[in-house]
Amino acid sequence: MSSTKIDRRNFLKVLGLGGAGAALAGCDMPSYATLEEGEEQVFSYLAPEEYVIPGIGVWYASTCLQCPAGCGVHGRVREGRALKLEGNPNTAVNRGKLCQMGQAALQTHYNPDRIAKPRIGAKEVTWAQALAFIKAKSTGTPAWLTGAISGHQGVLMDAHLNASGGGKHYGVEIVNAQAWRSACADTIGDAQPDLHIDKARSMVSFGADVLGTWISPVKFMADYGEFRAAPRGVLTVIEPAMTLSGANADHWVAARPGSEAAVALGVANALATEYSVSTSALPTGVADAIFTMTPERVRELSGVDTRTLSRIAGTLMSNSPSLVIGDGSYENAVAAMALNLMLGNIGATITPGADLVPADLAMRDGSTKALANFAKNAQSGDIQAAFISGANPVFTAPDGLNMKDALAKIELKVAIAMFEDETTQFCDVVLPLASPLEDWGTHAPPLGAARGEIHVQQPLMEKLHPEALGLGDILLGLAQDAGAAGLDDFEDYYGYLRTAISAMIGTGQEAAWQDVLQAGKVQAPATQRSFTANGSLTINVPESKAPGKGELILITTARQGLYDGRHANLPWLQEAPDQISKAVWDSWAEIHPTTAARLGLKDGDYVTITSADGALTTRIFLYKGVHPDAIAVPMGQGHTHYGRYASSVGVNPLNLLGADTDARTGEVSNTTTVHVQATGDNRYLVRLMDIDRQYGRKLTATISADQQRRNQSNKQGGA
Amino acid sequence: MPSLLGNIFKGWAHYSKGVEEGGHHDYEHMFAMVIDLDRCTGCNACSTACYAENNLPVVGEDKFGARQAMHWMRVERYFDEPDMDKIAAAEETDTQSRGASFLPMMCQHCNAAPCEPVCPVGATYHTLDGLNAQVYNRCIGSRYCANNCPFRVRYFNFYDTAESWPAPMDQQLNPDLSVRSKGVMEKCTMCIQRTRAARDTAKREGRALIDGDIQTACQQTCPTSAIVFGDLLDETSAVAKIWKRQQVKLGTYKQNKENPDLRGYRIFEELNVDAKVLYLERVREV
Repeated sequence: MSSTKIDRRNFLKVLGLGGAGAALAGCDMPSYATLEEGEEQVFSYLAPEEYVIPGIGVWYASTCLQCPAGCGVHGRVREGRALKLEGNPNTAVNRGKLCQMGQAALQTHYNPDRIAKPRIGAKEVTWAQALAFIKAKSTGTPAWLTGAISGHQGVLMDAHLNASGGGKHYGVEIVNAQAWRSACADTIGDAQPDLHIDKARSMVSFGADVLGTWISPVKFMADYGEFRAAPRGVLTVIEPAMTLSGANADHWVAARPGSEAAVALGVANALATEYSVSTSALPTGVADAIFTMTPERVRELSGVDTRTLSRIAGTLMSNSPSLVIGDGSYENAVAAMALNLMLGNIGATITPGADLVPADLAMRDGSTKALANFAKNAQSGDIQAAFISGANPVFTAPDGLNMKDALAKIELKVAIAMFEDETTQFCDVVLPLASPLEDWGTHAPPLGAARGEIHVQQPLMEKLHPEALGLGDILLGLAQDAGAAGLDDFEDYYGYLRTAISAMIGTGQEAAWQDVLQAGKVQAPATQRSFTANGSLTINVPESKAPGKGELILITTARQGLYDGRHANLPWLQEAPDQISKAVWDSWAEIHPTTAARLGLKDGDYVTITSADGALTTRIFLYKGVHPDAIAVPMGQGHTHYGRYASSVGVNPLNLLGADTDARTGEVSNTTTVHVQATGDNRYLVRLMDIDRQYGRKLTATISADQQRRNQSNKQGGA
Repeated sequence: MPSLLGNIFKGWAHYSKGVEEGGHHDYEHMFAMVIDLDRCTGCNACSTACYAENNLPVVGEDKFGARQAMHWMRVERYFDEPDMDKIAAAEETDTQSRGASFLPMMCQHCNAAPCEPVCPVGATYHTLDGLNAQVYNRCIGSRYCANNCPFRVRYFNFYDTAESWPAPMDQQLNPDLSVRSKGVMEKCTMCIQRTRAARDTAKREGRALIDGDIQTACQQTCPTSAIVFGDLLDETSAVAKIWKRQQVKLGTYKQNKENPDLRGYRIFEELNVDAKVLYLERVREV
C-alpha cells in the first residue's frame, strides 16, 4: 500500500473496497468495477439503481384502494418517490380515468399522521412484543372486521380464521349497494349483474348515486360520457336530496325520503295504463303492487304528481333501450328491477355477471348489516379477539348500535391501521399498516370480475415507515402462526402472491410475472352466470308519511370526496369544494328554502338537530335540491381522533341514527326523524361561490335537447 | 442604421398584424382546449389532479374564505339557466328540476390576454406555444394581472406555502416545476412541464409532436372525457377539428356561425380577449 501512489482514483477505490465509501458522498457508491484502471466512464454518485434514471419518471401499474371499486392505476415514480397517480388505461373498469379520491391516494400515503410503530396501549413497542402480546391474550376464536376485501388478502384471511377455530369475517361499508344486490339476487338471481350505461338511451335512478359513490363510480362516469354522446341518453333521477347524479340529471325529481319505490311503481303503473306495457314478465306479487299504486296514492306517499310520473314513463318509452337502477332501500331496488323487467332491459342493458375461478378471490362486500351483527355479537360476548383493518366502526356505526360499549366487551382488540382514528383509541394493540402504495395485493373489482379481471397491486416505492407492514404480510404471518395448511413455505406475502398468480397464469417464468406487473392485472377464468326468474317475489311499499309538526326527516348522504369519512384526513379533499354546496372544511345541513322560511331560518344559521339517539349543531345551506320534508347532512366530517386535518372539523350525522334495520336486507337505516332548532348563531359557510346565479352572463350555457338533436342530425354538433 | 430600418420595413406586414390575423407571433403551436359541459359531471377529479400535478398548496378554511385558495382548476356550480329562462318561467320552480350546471374554470390562455399588457415587469407574457405564461422569479406581486383577469383565474401567494406540505408530504411535490413562494402570482399553465417533456421526447425521436403526445393532468383524469387538449395549428388534432366543427375561430369576437344551434362558445366572447378554451353547452331535455 505504501508503494502505491495515492491519487483520487486509488483513494476512492480503497474506500469503495473498504465499504466506507458511503460516508464520502452519502449516496450509493459506484461499484469498484467502474473504478478499475483504464475505465474512463465516470458515473454520478447520484445514479442509484440501474432501472432508475435521475430526472426521468417511470410509471408502474398498481391498484387504487380509496374505495371498494378497485380501479387500476399507473403511478409515476421519480427518484424513488411516487409523485402522481393516473388511471390504468388497460383496465376495463376505469379505462385510464380516476376520481378525486383516487388522485388523493398520494396524500393517504404521504400523510404526516401515519402510524410508524406498533403500540400496546399508549406504549410504543417492537413488532415482536406486539405479536407476543396478541398471542398471549388471544383466547377463543378471532374475528376480522374490515372494509370490502377481495383477492388473495381475502383468501389468507379465510385461512387465518379457519386455522384458528372458524371465526367470522365482518365486512363493513357504510356506503354500499347491498339493497340493489339483494334485489337483483331476488329478481333475476344474480346479485352483481353487469350494467351497460353506455348502451342505454335513457337511465332512471331511484336513489342510487350512480356517478358519485355507487359500486364503481369511475367506470359508471366513463360509461356516462358515452351515454351522453350521440344519440344522447336522457338521465332522470328521483331522490330525496340531490346527489352528484341528480345534479347531472335532465330531470330531477324530489321524493319524500323512503318513497322512491312508490314513485317507481307509479311510473310502472303509468307505463301499463298509458302505454299498455305488459306486466307479464313480472312476478304476480309485484304486478299486483303496481296496480294498487295509483297516481293519487303515489302523490300521497311521495309528493310526486301525476304529470311527473307520465313524463318519466314517456321518457322511458321514447328512449329505448333504457336502464333503471335503485338503491337506498330494498323496495327502491326491487321496484327499479320491476321496471327493467317490464321494459325488457334484462339481457339488453343488464347482462349476467360472472363468477371468478377460484371463487374465493371474489369481492367480499361490505354492509352495515355486518356492522350491526358485529356490535350484537360483541355485546353478547361471542367475540373474544377482533382484528380491525380498513374500517372505523366507532366513527361509522350509527349511535344506536352502541359500538363503544360493544368493543369494550371484546377482550383483545387489534387495529391494523395507517392512522390513529376513533377506533384505534379503543384498541389494545395498534399495528402500523403499510400504505396501498407500499403494499402487494390482488383485488377483484366488483365490475371487473364480469370480465375476469383481477387488478394487481404492487409497491410504488420503499416504505416511508420501515416498521409498517402490508396487510398481506400480517395476514400471512397470523395464518402461519395459527397453523394454516400449505403456507409454511412462504417467507412473505410477495412470495405467496407470486406463487398464486403463477398458478393462475400457468407459468412461473419471470417474463410472464413481469407482464402481469406491467399490465397491472391478471386475466382470471370466469364462469358466466345466467339469470333466473323468481315468480314468488313480492314488494311491500313502505308507508312514507309527511313528518309530524316540527319534525323533519334526516338523511345522511355520501359524497365522492370525503366518502364515509375515511378521506377526511386528506387536505386535498377537504379543500376540494363539495360538488353540490361548494363548501369546504366543514359540515352543513341542506334544507329547502320553503322549509327554512317556515322554521324562520336563513342561510348560514346554526341549528341543533336532535334525534332520539343524539344531537348535533351545524350550519344550514339553503337550496331547492332537497325535499321540503327532509334535512340532509353529508357524512365524512365530525372526526375526533383522525389526525391534524380531520379532527374537530364538522359534525358526524351518523351519531343521530338509531339501530333500525331493513327487514329484507338487514341494512341499518340511514334516515331518522329529527327536530331542528335554531341556536341563534349565524356565520358564513366557507365555500367556493357565494352566488348560485349567472346574472344573465353566458358562463355555463344550456341548450335544449331538441336543439342538440337538430345538430346531431346535421352531423355538425356532436363533439 | 439602414439595416435595422430595412428589416423593419421588410417585416412590416408581419409586425403590423393585429390579434385578428393571428398577431405578430411566429406561433409554433397554439395549444387550446375544449370542455364539453354536457359530459362534465362536476365531480372535481380535474381539480384534484391539478393539485397533485402542479404543487398547489392547501390553504385551509380561513384563507379559503378570504378567497386565497390556489385552485388553478376550479369547478363552479350554478343553479340557474339563463338561456332556458323562458322555459323555466313556464315550469314550477320549486325544485332544482334540471339539476345543477357545472363549469370547470381555469386560465383561458387568451391570445389577447388582459393580464399581459398590465404587468409592470413583463412577468406574464405569451409564449410561442400560444400559452399565457407566468415567470415566477420575475413577478413582483403587483397583482395588476389578477385585477385585470375577467375570469378570476390568477392566484396570488399571500403567504408562504411551506406549511401546506408537512413532512413527508413534501416528498410528493412534482420536481418538474417549482413551488411558488410568497408574493408571487400563479395560474394554470396547461401543464407546461408535460408540454416540455413531450416536445423533448418528440425531438429525441426525431419527429414532430403529434396529437395525443401531450395530455394535461385534468384532461387525463376526467372520468367522462369531457376535456380535450391539443394544438389548433395541427389541423388533424381533435381539438382543431372540434373548433372547426363548432365554427368558432380565433382572432375575432364575432363568430359568424352558419348553424346557430352549434354548442361551442367562449366565455366572455364579447370582451374580445380571444380565449382558447371552447366550451360546449350543456344539454337538457325540457
